[in-house]
Amino acid sequence: MVAARANKAHRDERIALVFLMGSSGIFVLAMATILLFLLVNGTKLFYADHVSPLAFLFGTEWDGDAGKFGAAPFIAGSIVATGLAILLGGPLGVAIGLFFSELAPKRVAAAFKPAIEVLVGIPSIVYGWIGLTLLVPFLATVTHTQGNGILAAGLVLSIMILPTVISLSEDALRVVPTALREGSAALGATRWETMSRVLIPAASSGLAVAVILGIARAIGETLAVQLVLGNAPVMPKSLLMSASALTSEIVMEMGEAPDGSPFRHALFSMALLLLLVAMGLIVLIRLALRKRT
Amino acid sequence: MARALSTAPPVAKTFVSSNARSRRAIDKVATAGLWIAASAVVALLLLFIGYLFWQGYSEISWHFLTGYPQSATAGGGVGPEIFNSFYILVLTLTFTLPISILAGIYLQEYSGPGRFRDIVQFSAESLATVPSIVMALFGLLVFVQILGWHFSALGGALTLTFLNLPAMMRVTQQALASVPATYREASMGLGATKWQTVLRAILPSAIGPLTTGVVLVSGRIFGETAALIFTAGSSVSYGASAYDFNPFHTAETLAVHLYSTQREGLVPDATQIANGSALVLLVMVLVFNVVARVVGRQLTRRFTGKA
Repeated sequence: MVAARANKAHRDERIALVFLMGSSGIFVLAMATILLFLLVNGTKLFYADHVSPLAFLFGTEWDGDAGKFGAAPFIAGSIVATGLAILLGGPLGVAIGLFFSELAPKRVAAAFKPAIEVLVGIPSIVYGWIGLTLLVPFLATVTHTQGNGILAAGLVLSIMILPTVISLSEDALRVVPTALREGSAALGATRWETMSRVLIPAASSGLAVAVILGIARAIGETLAVQLVLGNAPVMPKSLLMSASALTSEIVMEMGEAPDGSPFRHALFSMALLLLLVAMGLIVLIRLALRKRT
Repeated sequence: MARALSTAPPVAKTFVSSNARSRRAIDKVATAGLWIAASAVVALLLLFIGYLFWQGYSEISWHFLTGYPQSATAGGGVGPEIFNSFYILVLTLTFTLPISILAGIYLQEYSGPGRFRDIVQFSAESLATVPSIVMALFGLLVFVQILGWHFSALGGALTLTFLNLPAMMRVTQQALASVPATYREASMGLGATKWQTVLRAILPSAIGPLTTGVVLVSGRIFGETAALIFTAGSSVSYGASAYDFNPFHTAETLAVHLYSTQREGLVPDATQIANGSALVLLVMVLVFNVVARVVGRQLTRRFTGKA
């Protein structure tokens, strides 16, 4: 009786392990499949339509009817908007991470934390809608332009990446041993000196990860950006001119690109580029974390 | 030495004390700066909430929340879209939860360091950074074209499954990590197998934070847009009813509706519909957040006796 029950327990254990490992395997399979499909469809432009990868990456003319698939305007738009978002949202996010890990009294943290959680939950389309109806008219009035463009996109993105940067930098700062804080205070450092000269250097790799994941979030963001960019497929010459990004261009044109056309292949190449950048950022994070250990 | 100190020029003294004073002043300014930064973000959120309510509240009516969308005339509702958002959320959770919870249990409780673990972890991290528009194109290829489902609720839900597996797995891992090691030791010490320990000791203790995390991620799934435009489509089903349970029919969600009325909407009241939809989406986010916290706390109390 006891032996039978023990046998059953061991059989359950083996069955459970199969399901547990199988589910984990699905993650590997999913990622491999996505990469494979995008590699195949994202390179058709080069091997089937004979557009050179260099012309795709550096060409500044985007005209499907004329067979010109230069994605440089979108690449530039993505890079500048993301850069702007990180420039604004990165330091602000780390500062608020510092606030939560070092300064915030329990009650204040309990009141502010749910707010950050809500910011994560607001759909990107709603951010875009607020950007389009509140920020763009505001920028238009202040700068006497149309208001849309890379500046608007960068501002919206900087808010959207904040929750990511805040929570990851808070985590990174919290794992810094208390002894370092005490040692610094014992040497006569003020709280700010401890933060800026001890905690930030000690948590630097974790903070780098926070910023890199912020970049990943910003560069892949689609609809919030699409609504405020203005979507002109030209090289951005000013932050306040209608421009376009990789993600927004895909979402704009996918519906009109016929299956099997070079046009559609070019959009898949842009998606492949985004995927490779995202995976590159993951590798970068691994390197940043390896340095620590 | 003492003599040298006592004859030190007074200017040095004031330098030292003014230095200390300026350091304290910098500390005060920096502290104030951090407080302002954090308060500003909260204020920004309140501004967003206030703005969306101010813009959208007059659009909300029973007719708007349950009525059918119009293609070219004013006065359309978003009933089927709200239904589709929930329907696709439920489908997505059906696929996502078992896989990600089991994988989370494996990584957190079972696997030792090793190559399989490394590969799974790297895949999950990569999957987590795949932009939703890239996932949309993948879903378009696989579900819409290769499997030939056209735009469908199921294709949308499966695309969202791919997109949200890593977040759900992380939620599971965090919930499991919050269970003290002593629970595991006690259970195993009583002769339980690992699986029995997981099922009867660890999961009940982790159910509170796990539920909180799951509901929060659900809130994000509810508002997902980019991944659904080319997989679940941007129109509601024109079958017998727009409230359509057939998973192979096209199913525009509320978030996609907000996008499509802006993009290609012919209705004269596109702005009003967008304002109303944005408000409904915001309210849903708030509801998901409150439910996550309340239910999580209740479950923790029920299963562990802790407050």
